[in-house]
Amino acid sequence: MVENKVKTRIGFAVKVLIGLIIISIILIGLVFSFLPEDLLNKIPSLGEIRRNLTTENYIWVWTHLSMPRYLLNTFIVCAICMTCQVVFSSFAGYAFSFFDFPGRNLIFVLVQVSMMIPAEVTVICNYLQIQSLKLVNTYLGISITSLIGGASVFMMRQYYTTLPRELKEASVVDGCGDMRFLFQIAVPLSTPIIASLSITQFISVYNRYFWPMLTAQKERMQTIQIGMSRLVGSENQEYGHVLAGAIIAIVCPIIVFIFAQDYIIKGMTAGAVKG
Amino acid sequence: MRIGKHTYKHVKPLPYLLLAPVVLYLGFLVFYPFIRSIYLCFFVTNSLGVPKTFMGFENFKRVFTDPAFKKSLVQTFKFAGMVGAGTFFFALILALLSVQIVKGSKVYTTMYAIPMAIASVPLSALAIFLFQKYGIINILLGTQFEFLSTTPWALISVALVTIWSGLGSSFIFLLVGFRNVPDDLIESAVIDGASPIRRILSVYIPVASPQIFFVVFLNIVGSFKAFGIIKLMVGKGPGDSTNILVYAIYANAFLRNRFETACVYSLALCVVIFIVTRIQLALEKKLVIYS
Repeated sequence: MVENKVKTRIGFAVKVLIGLIIISIILIGLVFSFLPEDLLNKIPSLGEIRRNLTTENYIWVWTHLSMPRYLLNTFIVCAICMTCQVVFSSFAGYAFSFFDFPGRNLIFVLVQVSMMIPAEVTVICNYLQIQSLKLVNTYLGISITSLIGGASVFMMRQYYTTLPRELKEASVVDGCGDMRFLFQIAVPLSTPIIASLSITQFISVYNRYFWPMLTAQKERMQTIQIGMSRLVGSENQEYGHVLAGAIIAIVCPIIVFIFAQDYIIKGMTAGAVKG
Repeated sequence: MRIGKHTYKHVKPLPYLLLAPVVLYLGFLVFYPFIRSIYLCFFVTNSLGVPKTFMGFENFKRVFTDPAFKKSLVQTFKFAGMVGAGTFFFALILALLSVQIVKGSKVYTTMYAIPMAIASVPLSALAIFLFQKYGIINILLGTQFEFLSTTPWALISVALVTIWSGLGSSFIFLLVGFRNVPDDLIESAVIDGASPIRRILSVYIPVASPQIFFVVFLNIVGSFKAFGIIKLMVGKGPGDSTNILVYAIYANAFLRNRFETACVYSLALCVVIFIVTRIQLALEKKLVIYS
């Protein structure tokens, strides 16, 4: 018994150690972001780290770049995208699973085909279009490619099909209208999947790079990823600043991830794999 | 009272109204630009992307005979192979380690899964710091090697970082697959005296084969889209070694304003993804065991 206990303890320690190795890239960045530039090109001893801890990299990044503005922009874009994704996917999921109408299958196939067209292929023409509509450097322009996604529609539809049909029939008998059923019965029943969808969308929109890089050209409209990327590879790049910027950029998604991981995992695995 | 499936009595306008936003959106922001980019392949465009001169198949001929395109294609597949195999290998080990749910196992599963919350920009920043000439990797090796500007190390370094970024979600998918293995199956394997390795090979892996399949192809297709890490860490890389298709699309369109060339590249990327997905479906039918 005792031997077994020791074995599990060691096993646990080894697994945590492997975890630490995996996140070491973040931990190293975190430690070095609090050190002055002259300590960055070597491995300092613990004593050196303790004596030289400084927040000057963070102060520099916070004051020389408009970090608060980047974060504000990011949250605005996230809010727009999350709201649209949730509302329109719920509408579509409800229509697909509770109604029979000509063209339903065709539209569903359309949604599935749209998921097979990579965003990297449509990005050029979307950008040209947004540019000619003068939507570059607007929140709408920055959000526009993430307002609706085939995957979200698919996810909501999968969930609504699991709701019992009798529910709808019973409420029709009771004189409940179609929209009232959606808002008062279907949506409250689907809060877990809506939470999954919102959180997944938050992290993915927060972390987007390609599209906002193209559409948020003015500094006052840039999101955190774009603002941060200006530090990387700039002429007088100082690693301390780069690391501090990187840490600022990852704090929020990491916190969200740690507290909401069950919802994220549920959202990821819902309908992703058969079997 | 149920209305027969294809009689459609009393067709209501409501479902159409509910679906209208999705249909319009996908039409304008997915299908239209997709068709438009095929259309642009046949023209020469000006710097605003407006088609000017009809070229027929000239653009295709020019791009497909260009050695740069062939190189880009080859590097794309090399990169995909490294990322697909690497991510699967590491995620498999992590998932096998975490199969059992014990008190506190969430501590390490959270650490294994965290890469999926980290975006490509901060990740590239952290990785550049590690891989730089005076970075930690070089200090540990006792060298001053320029990983990011030497072939083949630029591609390998970028692949390692991409593997790291895909580790979290792959781990989760595999873990879900392994934890779905019924207890009695494992128990009977233990009773039969199967060694841990034997148990992995003949119980866990077959039962989780749908997830394994999904993860391998998820990462291959994901590597085709690994734009952020490549752009920030190496660009087109030494000797164009990291100029994979997605970066070539970006460089042609937004650095050179050669939109029609970028469209041909993007069409090639689309075909590559399509073929890989077809292979996935074909192999899935043969290899995957659905219980």
